[in-house]
Amino acid sequence: MNSSMEKGQVSDTSEFQENLEILRQMDFFSALPLQALKVFAYLFTREIFKPGDNLFHQDDIDGKAFYIISGTAEVVREDEGGEAVLREFGDGEFLGGLALLGDMRRLFSLRAVSKMTCLVMNREKFTKAIEQFPELTPRVLETMVDRIRSWEERLFFDRDGLCDNCRKKAGVSLI
Amino acid sequence: MRKPETPVVKRSLFSWVLTSSLKLQLLLLLTISVTVFARVLPLEMQKRIVNEAIRFSDIQRLFLYCGLYLASVLVATGLKYLINALQSVIGERALAEMRKALYDHILTLPLNFFRKTQPGLVVTSLITELASAGNFVGMAIGVPVTSLLTLLAFAGYLFWLNPLLAVISLSIYPVVLLLLPRLQNHANKANKRRVDLTRTLSGKIGEAISGIHEIHGNGSYRIENSRYGRMIDKLYKIRIAWNLYKFGVKTLNNFFNNLSPFLIFIVGGYLAIKGRLDLGALVAFISAQEKLYEPWGELIGFYQTYQDAVVRYKRTMEYFDTVPEYALEPVGREPYELEGDIEVKDLSFAAEGGIQLLDGINLSLKPGEQLALVGFSGSGKSTLAQCIGQLYKYTGGHVLFGGKEVNELSKRDMIFNMGFVSQTPFTFEGTIKENLLYSCAAKLDVYEAGDGDSMPTLDDMIEALQQTGIFVDVLRFGLNSILVHDEHEELASKLIRVRENFKAEFGEELAEYVEFFDEENYLYHSNVAANLTFGSPNHESYTLDRLPVNEYFLKFLDKADLTRPLFTLGAELCKQTVDILGDLPPDKVFFEQSPIDAAELDEYKALATRLTKTKLHRLSRQDQTDLLRLALRYTPGIHKMVGLPTILEDLILEGRALFREKISSDEPGAFTFYQVSEYIYSQTILDNIFFGKTKTVNPQAEEKIDQNIIQVLIEEDLLETIVGIGMEFQVGSKGDRLSGGQRQKLAIARVFLKAPRVLIMDEATSALDNKSQARIQSLLDSRWRGTSTLIAVVHRLDIIKDYDKIAVMKAGRIGEIGTYDELMARKGMLHELIYGKRTSV
Repeated sequence: MNSSMEKGQVSDTSEFQENLEILRQMDFFSALPLQALKVFAYLFTREIFKPGDNLFHQDDIDGKAFYIISGTAEVVREDEGGEAVLREFGDGEFLGGLALLGDMRRLFSLRAVSKMTCLVMNREKFTKAIEQFPELTPRVLETMVDRIRSWEERLFFDRDGLCDNCRKKAGVSLI
Repeated sequence: MRKPETPVVKRSLFSWVLTSSLKLQLLLLLTISVTVFARVLPLEMQKRIVNEAIRFSDIQRLFLYCGLYLASVLVATGLKYLINALQSVIGERALAEMRKALYDHILTLPLNFFRKTQPGLVVTSLITELASAGNFVGMAIGVPVTSLLTLLAFAGYLFWLNPLLAVISLSIYPVVLLLLPRLQNHANKANKRRVDLTRTLSGKIGEAISGIHEIHGNGSYRIENSRYGRMIDKLYKIRIAWNLYKFGVKTLNNFFNNLSPFLIFIVGGYLAIKGRLDLGALVAFISAQEKLYEPWGELIGFYQTYQDAVVRYKRTMEYFDTVPEYALEPVGREPYELEGDIEVKDLSFAAEGGIQLLDGINLSLKPGEQLALVGFSGSGKSTLAQCIGQLYKYTGGHVLFGGKEVNELSKRDMIFNMGFVSQTPFTFEGTIKENLLYSCAAKLDVYEAGDGDSMPTLDDMIEALQQTGIFVDVLRFGLNSILVHDEHEELASKLIRVRENFKAEFGEELAEYVEFFDEENYLYHSNVAANLTFGSPNHESYTLDRLPVNEYFLKFLDKADLTRPLFTLGAELCKQTVDILGDLPPDKVFFEQSPIDAAELDEYKALATRLTKTKLHRLSRQDQTDLLRLALRYTPGIHKMVGLPTILEDLILEGRALFREKISSDEPGAFTFYQVSEYIYSQTILDNIFFGKTKTVNPQAEEKIDQNIIQVLIEEDLLETIVGIGMEFQVGSKGDRLSGGQRQKLAIARVFLKAPRVLIMDEATSALDNKSQARIQSLLDSRWRGTSTLIAVVHRLDIIKDYDKIAVMKAGRIGEIGTYDELMARKGMLHELIYGKRTSV
C-alpha cells in the first residue's frame, strides 16, 4: 500500500511533505507560490496500480492527471481492428494536465506495465483549488500553451524527415 | 391546489384583513369593546375617590372604589395582552398566507423573468419586505378600533364632565390631522426610494459576489467598493430623510398633545378659582385628558405602520406583477391523456429584441418515433426542444402535441404527458428517494414521499436506478451507512453471515484493498481512538466526541504514557492543517482529508496561533482537550499532512492491550471489541462486511470490490435492503454530495420512472462516461422505442445511428432531416458535421 505508511517509515516526513517536494520539481506547478503549492500537495492523492490496471480508458472523460512516482505505463489505442501500443511513460512524468482544464475525452487508454505509484489529481479538486488562487489561472494556461508548443516543436522539427505524412497535418500549436 | 380568484400580485393590502381569520377578528372586536369600558372606569373611580370617599371620610367607599379601580386595571391589562396575542396570530397568519401565495406565484413566472432577477431579491421580498404588511394586517382592525373607541369614550366622558373644557382640549386634533398627512407624504416618498434602492443594492451585491473571481482577477476591490459605497451613501441620505420625516410626525404630534394640558390649566384653573368647577372634576378631567394621549399615539403609530406597509407591499407586488405564460391547471376538465405524436408547423421563436432564434421549423413524429436534433452550439437545437417542451413560449407557428396546441395546454397537461431532462439537471436537498420520486410526486400531487397508491414501488425505483446506471452508486451509499443499534438487530446478524461468506469467497482476492481489523497490528485506516480501544463503544461517554473529556479514558492515557505524545501529535496536526487549509472555504473537497471539520476551522486557527506563543503544558484545559480530540481522530491513511512516528505507533499498540485489560475488569460491556462474530455498530455496513477498512480510492479497485459485494448480497437476498438504505442518502444542498454524472443519471431515472408519452432529453447524457451513455442509449432503443416519443438533443454524433429521424440544425432552421443512412448518402450537412472537420486536421 502507500509507501510512506509502511511500518518503520521515517517519522519526520509526511506524505504531504514528500508531495510538496515533488511538485516543486514539476514545471506545471513549480511556478506557483508556496501557499498554493501546499494546497495542491495536500490535494494530490497517491494511488497504486498493478500491472494491467488501467489508469484511464479510451473515450472516458475521467478528468484526472497523473504524476508517475515510480513504474511504467503504456499508451494504448483501441479500434475495430484491435489494440495498438503507441508509447510508454515512466518515472517523473506528468500526464493529463489538459484533462484538469476541460472535458477531455480520452483518445487512448493508459495501462500500467509494471507496478506503479502515482500522484493523482482530479478536475473537481483542481478547479476548486484554482478558484482560491485565481491569479494563478493565467500561469497555468501559459504553462499549458508552452507545453503544447514545445511538444509540436519536438515532434516535427527535431525529428525532421521522420514522418512526411505527419508534417502535412502539423498545427496542433495553431489551434 | 387552491387558487385565489385574483392573482396575488393584484390583491390589495386590505383584502388580507378580510380574508384571514374572520372568527379571530370578531373575537378581537368583542375583547376590545370590553377593554374600552375597563379603561374608562378608573377615571370615574378616581373622581369618586376624591369627591365622595376622601371628602366625606368614607372608608368603606374608599375600599369599594379602590377595589373597582384595581379590578378594572387588572382586567384592562389582561385584555390588552389578549388583544396583542390575537393581533399577532392574525398578523402572522396573514403573513404566512401572503408568503405562500407570492412564492406560489413567483415559481410559475416565465424563465425569462429570472434572467433579470437576482435570487437575493426574491429572498428579501418574501422575507423582509412582506413582514411589515403582515404586521399591519394584524393591527388593521384591532388597533384603530380600540384607539378610536377609547378616544370616543374618553371624549364622551370629557363632555360629560365639562363640555367647554372638552371642546378646548379636543380642538388640537383637527390641526394635527391637517398637518400630519403632508409630513407623512414626504416620508412615503423617501420610503419608496429606499425600497427601490435596497433592491438595486441587493442586485449589485449579488452581482459582485457571483463575479468575485473577476474582482480578484483584476484586483478591482476598490472600484467595486466605491460603486457599492456610492449606493450606500445614497441609501444613507435617503434613510436619514425618511427617519427625519418619521420623527417629524412624532414630534408634531407630541407638541400638540403637550399643548393641550396648558389650555386646560389656563381655562380649568380659572373656572376652579371662580368656583365654577369642583376640584375632583378638574383632577378627573386632567387625568382623562392625559389618557387621550395613549390611544391617539397608537392611532398615529398605526397610521405610520399602515403607510410603510402599503409602500413596501405595493412595491413588492408590482415587481412580481408578471403573468405566468401558461395556465397551471386545466379549467373544467381533467388533464388530457395525449397521444405521443408531435407536429411542428412553421415554428418560429424570437427572443427579446427581435432576435430570431428559430425560424420556419417543420417536422412531424408519430407516437413512439425517436428524433435526434444535432448541430453546432447556437444552432437552436436546445431552443427547439424547449419550445416543444413548453419551457419557452414560441412566438409563431404551431406545435401540436397529440393534436393539441402546446401553447394553449396547461402546465398540468404537459406534466401528465411529457418528461423533460435538462442539460444541467437540478437536484434538490433531500434523499435520493425524494429526488427519484420528484417527477412522479409532482404529477400525482403527492407532497410527502411514500404516500399515494399509484406511486412507484421499490421494485420500480430499483429498476429505474439500474436502467440509468446509478444503482451501484446508491448501493455504495447504502454500504457506507451506519446502522442504528436497536433498530437493525436482524439485519446486523444477517450481515455477519455475509461477512463470513465474503471472507471465504473473496478474502484473498481483495486482501490488498482492505485493511482487516487485526489485534496485533496498527490500523492505518482507522483513527487513533479505534486503534486504542479496538472496539465500538456501547456507552455514550466513550464515543469519539466524548473520549477527550472522559476522565476514565484520560487516566488511562496517563497510565499508558500516551498523554504527552498525543498532545504533541494533536499540536502538529493543528499547525499543519491550519497552515494548509487556513484560508480555504468550507468545501467538502478541501476537508475530506482533514482531521479538522470545516466548521471547527476558526477555533483551531486561533488555537494554532496560541501554540506559537505558549508551551504545550501551559495551554488551557479546553485547548488541551481540543488537541487531544484531533489526535484521537488522526488516521494516517487519510490525514497525510503528518506522519505517524514509529514510537507512538508502538506505544498505542501497547496501550491497546492495556486498555482492554483495564476496561474488561473495571467496566465490562462498555465496549464490543472487534471480533469476527460481532457486528460493529460504530462502523459502516461495508466495513462490517469486510471486517476492516478499504484502503483505496482507486475506482477500478472499487469496481472489483462492488462486483464481489453485489454477488454476496444477492446470495443472501440483501441487495434490495441495502439499496433501500442507500436511497435514504441525503444528497446535500443542490445535490452537492453527488457527482455531476450521478446528478444527471438521477434526473434521467426520475423521468423514466414517470414513463411519459413524450420524452425530451436536452443533452441529457453529456456528463456521463462512455459506458453509462451507451447503456442509456441502448435502453432508449429497446425499452422506450415505440412506447414513448423521444426528442433528444445530441452533442455526440456516434450515438445517433439508430434514431428514426435526425434533424440537422443550423442558424435556427432545420437544414436537413431524414434517417442516418439517407443523410449520410446525401453527403450533406450531417456528413459534413461528422467528417467535415476530420479532413482539415
